[in-house]
Amino acid sequence: MRAEWPGPSGWRGLLGRPGHYGWQEAKGLSLASGLPWLVVLILAALPLLISSYAVFNLMDQILILGVFAMSYDILLGYTGIVSFGHVLFFGTGAYTVAIILKHTGPGLGFLLLAVFGTVLISLVISLVIGYLSLRVKDVYYAMITLAFAELFAIIAEKWRAVTNGSDGFSFSIPHFLEDPTLFYYLILVFAVLTVILVRRFIHSPTGRVLLSIRENEKRAEFLGYNVIRFKLISTLVAGVVAGLAGIAWALQQAFVSTGVMATDKTIDALLMTTIGGTGTLYGAFIGSGLTNFASDRLSSLAEHYPLLQRWHLIFGLLYILIVLFFPGGILGFFRGKRWGRGHGAAERGYRRVKGERADGPVNGGGKD
Amino acid sequence: MGMGTFVNLTVNGLSTGMMIFLLASGLSLIFGLMGVLNFAHGSLFMLGGYTGVVVFAHSGSFILALVSAMLVGLLVGWVVERLTVRRVYGNAIAQILVTTGVMIVLNELVKAVFGPDIIATPVPPLLAGSWAIGSVILIKYRLFTLAVGLVVAVAVHLLLTKTRLGMVVRAGVENPEMVQALGINIRQVFSLVFAFGAALAALGGVMMAPAVGAVNPDMGLQNQMLAFIVVVIGGMGSFLGSALGSILVGLAGAYTAWFLPEASLAVNVLLMAVVLLLRPNGLFGMGGE
Amino acid sequence: MILELKQVKTHIGQFRILQDITFAVPEGKVTVILGRNGAGKTTTLRSIMGLTPPTEGEILLDGKRIEGLPPHVIARKGVGFVPEDQAVFSALTVNENLRLAMRGRDQSAEERLTFVLDVFPDLKEKLSRKGGGLSGGQKQMLAIGRALVRDNRVLLVDEPSKGLAPIMVEKLARALRVIKDQTTVVLVEQNFALASAVGERYVIIDDGHTVREGILCELEQDRELLRRYLGISPANGERGRAG
Repeated sequence: MRAEWPGPSGWRGLLGRPGHYGWQEAKGLSLASGLPWLVVLILAALPLLISSYAVFNLMDQILILGVFAMSYDILLGYTGIVSFGHVLFFGTGAYTVAIILKHTGPGLGFLLLAVFGTVLISLVISLVIGYLSLRVKDVYYAMITLAFAELFAIIAEKWRAVTNGSDGFSFSIPHFLEDPTLFYYLILVFAVLTVILVRRFIHSPTGRVLLSIRENEKRAEFLGYNVIRFKLISTLVAGVVAGLAGIAWALQQAFVSTGVMATDKTIDALLMTTIGGTGTLYGAFIGSGLTNFASDRLSSLAEHYPLLQRWHLIFGLLYILIVLFFPGGILGFFRGKRWGRGHGAAERGYRRVKGERADGPVNGGGKD
Repeated sequence: MGMGTFVNLTVNGLSTGMMIFLLASGLSLIFGLMGVLNFAHGSLFMLGGYTGVVVFAHSGSFILALVSAMLVGLLVGWVVERLTVRRVYGNAIAQILVTTGVMIVLNELVKAVFGPDIIATPVPPLLAGSWAIGSVILIKYRLFTLAVGLVVAVAVHLLLTKTRLGMVVRAGVENPEMVQALGINIRQVFSLVFAFGAALAALGGVMMAPAVGAVNPDMGLQNQMLAFIVVVIGGMGSFLGSALGSILVGLAGAYTAWFLPEASLAVNVLLMAVVLLLRPNGLFGMGGE
Repeated sequence: MILELKQVKTHIGQFRILQDITFAVPEGKVTVILGRNGAGKTTTLRSIMGLTPPTEGEILLDGKRIEGLPPHVIARKGVGFVPEDQAVFSALTVNENLRLAMRGRDQSAEERLTFVLDVFPDLKEKLSRKGGGLSGGQKQMLAIGRALVRDNRVLLVDEPSKGLAPIMVEKLARALRVIKDQTTVVLVEQNFALASAVGERYVIIDDGHTVREGILCELEQDRELLRRYLGISPANGERGRAG
């Protein structure tokens, strides 16, 4: 099976027939709408079957990083831009809640203050980075976000008085969160709620415009949409969701260090989203489940086989193969099998370069 | 800050700038010609550093280390272009994604072979030490990197402006399709430029290692980020822009490192932000999208 | 027949631009492709050149199939291309633009260069000027000249008169008449006056299909055909543009 990228003119009909995408989704929903809820039900029943702390721990992490990866999918899968600084929102959320709780106390009010603060900071950072980079080529977003993320990582490293650098610091979380079962349920609710809200956003008129930008930016511009503003909205939403995931992560660990600002985390989000399936939202959770479960297993095996410590190598190779041959990822692959190819956002692969100059040598855009 | 310190910082800044330039010029050229933002470029820099360390440790010859690092860069660059990048020409997002995958794999391979920790890298004995002229102390190795960087910059400039290949590359940056329609196999040129850019990056890496005293698997991404700042400042696809951007970034880093080491990256990010505000396409960028 | 297209279909992405293009180009003649905007004229030339390879059908050069070959191979077989936007390399000098197209430095290439500079004396004065600094008409001359320095069997020229002042169009017409003694020309042209001044045969493309081909001077009499496919009513002035 060879990857097929959509032609330079993008995908026909998306704008020609308004609401077409929504119709497709609705059809998909009728076939599979039960499946996500079934998964939620199974996850909700999990504590009845297993009460191992390690399992809760792993499940918490899978769900939180799944939300983080899903926020990445808003950018990559639904807007067609690559960020290399997404961790900076995750890290900001984690540090905000950690610093506030450490200096005040484990009260619910302070937690809400941290949530409010995270949302505010995420919005400001998104606006600044977006304003600087989205006016230029898309690839600038990748480079500029990387630079800003490095800057934040260095601030976290050097501002030891507040962050204690790479050693990090622990803090007390509100008491009711200390019960692992309850915490697990709260994280599950958090994940379900963010999925519902992000789905709403994706299927809102704004989300539709984002998709049309992803498919054919020039045409969206031609139809009078302010492309930069819509991209900015996308980065705002993605940033806030990532920030919330960061809060959840810090609460789960009751500890933060510079690790929450490391570019590795962005790359993990990229891996999870791509492996699970971009432009699917659920794919992020599949990717998160797969990579985190595997890394958990592989790290315990690594004592005997040191090469397995480098489990990223395996995922890196898998990821390359997926980008080259199955741009829809795991979910896109199965959806493609069941419902025929070329319908979901995932099967269509990533948006083509918009500067037609670059695709000249392969098959340039026709002018007739 | 006395005269001596000033000269010393300037030399250090220029020398760092030159090594960043080796990385940034290839990155910029590859983007300009093929529209590929090569996220694995920093990994080739790192690979150059490690190759240099290994070859120098076994042979004791720094020249051999330089040459073999470049050869490794050339070879790996060529393979990467053939196996991955070539399959997704025309798709900017897929190119970033696939080269990021290559970055992950190369970094993990290096960690698997050499371990995740830093490896100390001595300055070759012949280039160790410094000259003192009054209060000015000139570090020999820094001057050496400056000289090599300048020679390479001039050579690449001549290659681009005086040779037929350079003509093809400059034309290809503008319109690769028309170059093909004139009977030139642009794919071959792409492979060549990609591999050549990789070799330059590897050369940057092998020279950087003794300058900072160590190699580590993260050196690729760190310097790649500086190279990104350079091409954003200088303008994507512009050779002259990369040169000027590298000098700016190198000097800004060196001077702030003296006054406030913590802020040295912040100054560069700020520099980038200012350029983006005033000239979104960089100092020498070519038009809009 | 030096060039033949048989039932060529070309898709760009999901769009079926060419659905059935069939025509033949006799050697040593100027064949004009006519049709409304969006009919598929440019894509036809690009399909011959291999820039938008046909999805189905055959393209024969001297009786040998060339469809599906990479553009540079098709170019080396002797197909020259002058695109609609001229695609003059603006960062290269006029001289470099011409040299880029020349493969070897043999005698015949130099002779062709001399010929080009004779046909377009404007270029001779501007050899060291950057391509970006030329006027629209000069760019067009350079684009044609660049195709001519190669030893081409067929020259594909896409709307050379577009955006040019009438005086430049006249210069162009004169140049094309000289050129057609040297090589076979396939010309896409909406300026019917220019087309009929230099052309001998015509092909009409409409909505991705070839609908008519024949001798150009016969077409000039067929007002019904002109009106139907080209939107030209010759009574309203002969320089009417289609589309």
